[in-house]
This record gives sequence, C-alpha cells and structure tokens, in this order.
Amino acid sequence: MPEEKIVCQNLGHVYPRGKIVALENVNLTICSQEIIGVIGQNGSGKTTLVKHFNGLLKPTSGKVIVEGNDTAKKKVQELAAHVGYVFQNPNHQLFAKTVEHELEFGPTNLGLSREEVEERREKAIEFFGLQDLRLSHPYRISFPLRKLVSMAAVYTMRPAVFILDEPTTGQDNITTRTVYRLIERLREEGSTVICVAHDMILLAEVVDRMIVMRNSHLIADASPREVFSDTELMHSTHITPPQITSIGLRWPGFGEKKVLLSVDEAVTAINSSNPPANS
Amino acid sequence: MQGVAIPITMVAGDSYIHRLNPLPKLFIALGVLILSFATRNPLVLGVVFALGLVFVTAAGIWKSYLRVVGILFPISLTLVVMQSIAPAFPRPWTPITDFGPFTIYQEGIYSGVSMLLRIFSMTTFALVMIMTTHPSDLFTSLQKIGMPYVLNFILTMTLQLIPILQNEFAIVLSAQKSRGMKGSGFGAVLPSMVPVFVGAIERVQQLSISLESRAFGSTGIKTSFRNVTMSLKDYVIMVLGVLATLATTVWVIADKSLDWSRTLIFPPTLSIIIVALAAIGFVAFFILAISYVLRA
Ligand SMILES: Nc1ncnc2c1ncn2[C@@H]1O[C@H](COP(=O)(O)OP(=O)(O)OP(=O)(O)O)[C@@H](O)[C@H]1O
Ligand SMILES: [Mg+2]
Repeated sequence: MPEEKIVCQNLGHVYPRGKIVALENVNLTICSQEIIGVIGQNGSGKTTLVKHFNGLLKPTSGKVIVEGNDTAKKKVQELAAHVGYVFQNPNHQLFAKTVEHELEFGPTNLGLSREEVEERREKAIEFFGLQDLRLSHPYRISFPLRKLVSMAAVYTMRPAVFILDEPTTGQDNITTRTVYRLIERLREEGSTVICVAHDMILLAEVVDRMIVMRNSHLIADASPREVFSDTELMHSTHITPPQITSIGLRWPGFGEKKVLLSVDEAVTAINSSNPPANS
Repeated sequence: MQGVAIPITMVAGDSYIHRLNPLPKLFIALGVLILSFATRNPLVLGVVFALGLVFVTAAGIWKSYLRVVGILFPISLTLVVMQSIAPAFPRPWTPITDFGPFTIYQEGIYSGVSMLLRIFSMTTFALVMIMTTHPSDLFTSLQKIGMPYVLNFILTMTLQLIPILQNEFAIVLSAQKSRGMKGSGFGAVLPSMVPVFVGAIERVQQLSISLESRAFGSTGIKTSFRNVTMSLKDYVIMVLGVLATLATTVWVIADKSLDWSRTLIFPPTLSIIIVALAAIGFVAFFILAISYVLRA
C-alpha cells in the first residue's frame, strides 16, 4: 500500500517581485516509490512547483503537505531530512573546501554519528565514482562532475523524496549514465524521485509518471506512454517526444498504433510485427 | 527566499523625477553630499533630509526607500552610541552624565546625532537619484560629459551587480538550508558567501572575455543606442540645484553661529535615553536580521 508523500491542494504561487503568477490551482498527490518526471516549457512553473516540495517556497494560496506536515509551518531545515533537493546550478550548492567535506555536510546536519557520516560518504564516493576527487576543491573540478558531487551531497542524506532539477542538462554521456543509475538505485531503495527535465529520452526510459506544466497550470498527469502519444498535448506545450516514439506512432508496419519509449522496445516491436523476410 | 534581497536599483515609474535627465539628479546629489560634509548643524542637515523625503514622495519610491533605510538606520545608530562615549571632536569634551561604565559627552551626542542626519541627508538624495534613473541612461549621460569610458563602465556595472549578487546570495542560502544547515549567527551564514564570491569572480571573468570579444577596448568614438537629451528645463534645474547647494555650503561654512556643539545642550536624562535607544535599536536589529536570514 503506497503511502502519500506529498500532497498539493489548490496550490498557487505568486512571486511578490513583479506579481508574477507562477502556479495556479495545482492539485497533485505523490506517493512513495514513484518516479516522476516534470516537463514543460521554460518559465512554465516547474522549478516553482518543486521548490514547494521542500518548503523553499511557501504557497501563496492552497496548501502543500509533505509526509503529513504542512510546509507553511515548517522550516526548510526541518524538511531537509525528508526531502532532498538538488539545485539546477551546482555552484549554488557547493561551498566546502573538499569533496569529502561537501558530502559530510548534509548527514552531519542530520545529527548522525561520525561513523555513519563516514560510511555514507564512502558509499556515495563509490557510487558516483568520485574516488580521485576526494580531496579536490569542488570548484576546481569540471562542471559535469561538480553536478555529480552536488547530487552525491544530497544522496548522503538519504531523503525519502529526492528532487532533481534538470540533472542531465549540460552533461556528457558518462555523467548522464550516472544520473540514470542514480535514479535506478533510488528506485530500488524505495525512494520517491521527482525529476524536472527537458531531456525526454531520459524521462521516457526512467519515469513511471509525467506531470506536464504549461503557463503555471498542471495540464496533464499520466504515464509517459500516454503523454508522449498525445500529439495535441505535445504540440500545445512545444515539447518534442523522443524520436523513437514519434517514429513508432507513424510507422505503418504496426497494425495498431504503438507507443515506443526506447530503442529496445522498438526492436522488439519491429521483430514481432514484421518478421525479417526469410529468403 | 525573496526576503533577503534589498534592491538598490531602479524602481520603475513615470514620476516627474524619473523623467528628469540623469545629470541634474547626479549633480544635485553630489552637491548635497558636499553640503552634508560641510556642516554639523542638526537643523540644516534635518532640513536637507526633509527635502530629500519630499523628493522620495514625488518619485513614489517610499517602499524601496524604506527597505534600504530599514537596514541603514539601525547600523547608523552605532554611530550615535560610539560618538557619545568617544566623540570624534577636538578636546576638551564636556561630560554630561555617566552611562554605566561610560561617560556621555555633550560634543559626542551632538556629533553622533549630526552624523546620523548627515548620513541620511546624503543617502536619501543618492537613493532618489539611483532609484529613478535607468543605469544605461546614467552611463550615457556620464559619457557625454567626458567621463572616461572604462571608469564609467566600472561604475555602472557595479550598480547593476549589486541586485544580482543579492539574488545570488538568497539562492545560495536556500541551497544550504535545503541541506539542513544548522546553527545560527554569522558562523552559519558565512559559508554561503563562498559560492556567492566565487560566482561573482567567475562572472566577472566571463564578462571580461565577452567584453573583449565585442571590442570593448577599441579606440575611436563610441556611439550609444540610448539617447539621453538634455532639455532647457533640465539645464535650469541643474544650474539652480547646483547653485542652491553651493550657496548653502558657503553659508554653513562662513556662518560660525551655526556651530551648536556647545550651545545645543542635551539634558542628562535625554542623553541617556538617546544613547540607550540607539544601542537597543542596533542590537534588536542585529538579532532580527540574523533570525530573518536564517528563517525558512
Ligand atoms: N524569484 C522570482 N521572482 C519573480 N519571478 C520569478 C522568480 N522565479 C521565477 N519567476 C517567474 O516565474 C515563472 C515560472 O518560473 P520557473 O522557474 O518555475 O519556470 P521553469 O518551468 O522552471 O523554467 P525553466 O525550464 O527555464 O527552468 C517564470 O515566468 C519566471 O520568470
Ligand atoms: Mg527551472
């Protein structure tokens, strides 16, 4: 029985500066162990929405409940143990003198013992492949690796809900793979993952549920298969589904419409619908 | 997370003062600066300050103005306290009364109060100028009166960088909080300054590359996209403003009877009240500011 982790009730947010309406009447329930993608154009309100999940922003109307706590009454520091947030720009997050210190900051704040802190640090270093960078200054390493460090720094806190804001933007193939592995690992560990991204291929492969934002409204909340096959919806938000999905939708060889999410699925589908002509 | 930023930047508007050419505003602000340093007379400074508030009203920038004053005022209160017990004034000092282990001096409290007024008369005019002028217009105007291009650029760039840095600081602080930042006081906030400064240096580095790639250092006459015209009215206001501040400056320097340091007597009780309120005001602000910054 999945339990409710985050509930938004008629959530609205107006930024005081310039009275910009960034969210309007969003209703949403996120349960444990869900892997969720949040998509939408630039400025549609994705970051604003997820910043409500750990109390960085407070609703200007409506409510957000995180594991039973109304975020309006909680400090970000108190919610930090439940919800981890990896910022879009790692430079905003890192400040320690070495990668090791950086990884210890979060768990130390949670009040863990020295041994536990070190154990978590070691696990994170191993998982993210940061062995050679242990004593490097976080600002001296390349941007993609810095981003990994910022994820590792949140991972060491083992939050029940993990928020990633554009984890693969500007990443090369190797670090993108690490992000895939991280999400898979979090899935196995039973965490809830909320991933804001413009990388549709990543989302098609890893998420179970997609939330589509447009003009500060939540306009769709469904599986990636449903969202990507809804050409009208895709068009209205100016989002291009993964090419393999578009090909699948238009491929005349399949009897009925097939919504494909990965190359592997495509290969299987082609093989079964249209067995290679034997000579 | 918005609350931390204090924008010392242009406040959009279409008041009479907004429409004025930047130069008259700049010269009047400079004139007031000189005038404020030329006198310690509380009445003169008070009148200048009140006049500044009239302009704040005319420009319709009370809200932004008060946000800056809300920070500046409590900090300036330290001046009153420090001056009262250790006046920056030629001896001999006249003791008024004892305040705990300290002695409050007549010259000190006079000097403290006048310094407070001096700061406020100056900054009020400066803020009216900054908050009603588009940075690019200021840039173009300074350019026109022969300010060296590079110097001019540094000046306007700095003005524009302040709000950016404040914003950045707010984001960094929220990142720290979302990792469960513990503790209070400057010790906890200090680490957040690291990313802000590294970010600022990085930004400046990139800016300089970008500037050079757009021929920043080239010689020759530079034209400007924004055109700032100086109407007859602007000239008249500028000349009148400069004359008025200059004449007042000359008057306050020449008229020795305006030195009230020994005639404006503060009774002991009043002195204690002023100094105590100033001290309490500052400490309260300090505590409030820190708890505000650390609040979620
Ligand atoms: N601090 C702020 N103050 C005022 N307005 C803001 C602020 N942050 C964001 N906005 C505005 O709110 C709206 C939603 O912004 P948000 O950052 O949530 O979009 P986003 O979907 O995350 O976009 P992106 O894909 O570019 O990251 C935009 O119009 C943006 O300009
Ligand atoms: Mg965003």
